[in-house]
Amino acid sequence: MASEAKPMICPECGVAMNHHAEKLVYPSDATAADAELGGVVEELHTCPECGASASRRAVLGSL
Amino acid sequence: MERALFIPVMLGTVRQGRMSLPVARLMVAELSRRPGIETELIDVARLPLRVDDAGEATKDPTFSAQMSRADALVVVSPEYNHGYSGLLKHVLDSCLKEYVHKAVGVVGVSAGPFGGARGIQDLLPVLRELGLVTVFWDVNFSAVHGVFDEAGALRDPAYLPRIDKFLKELVWMARTLRHGREHIALE
Repeated sequence: MASEAKPMICPECGVAMNHHAEKLVYPSDATAADAELGGVVEELHTCPECGASASRRAVLGSL
Repeated sequence: MERALFIPVMLGTVRQGRMSLPVARLMVAELSRRPGIETELIDVARLPLRVDDAGEATKDPTFSAQMSRADALVVVSPEYNHGYSGLLKHVLDSCLKEYVHKAVGVVGVSAGPFGGARGIQDLLPVLRELGLVTVFWDVNFSAVHGVFDEAGALRDPAYLPRIDKFLKELVWMARTLRHGREHIALE
């Protein structure tokens, strides 16, 4: 598992979760969408111990 | 010890007299016979989803939790007028992040000769956009009114080897994707 600057921490196990995916999603508030992507990127994280999943909005750099 | 895989079976129709019900029950039974797998039937007719909105605004907490826990999903999809059911799409659209990097296989059902193949073909790009990973086996129940007896028992055992191949592929993909979700980081 690659290290990440600010890993999500599993609320059940307290260990760093694995950031395995980024998905473009389309918020109902169109003003929240990135102008270049047309949506927002959601990061998906899963706990290597218990399998719990969590997500957060990605902080985008320039494309 | 490896955690059991959770692979629910989603019955994707609310139609009265639906012949997809014995199909879904058969898939639950075949999954239940396999060690290391937990399953349950999720009937879209029993989900309390609103129909005055769509997408994640209609999310049901119980269904969302089932999809979060799931490692893979079997979708039983009857073909209606050459497509999949509208209520199935409505329910699938109520979640998104719950599905990402999880396996899905589709079981097509039809009254006619093509085993729901046209509905499956239309459903595949939807499943992909939801973040699910489709397997390359389907199961197709053609002329379904003759496939089960009045008690819902399978009349033709020839379906069982195909279901076995479908589930083997789905379980392999579920295990592989679980390993990836938990241990392989996005670069």
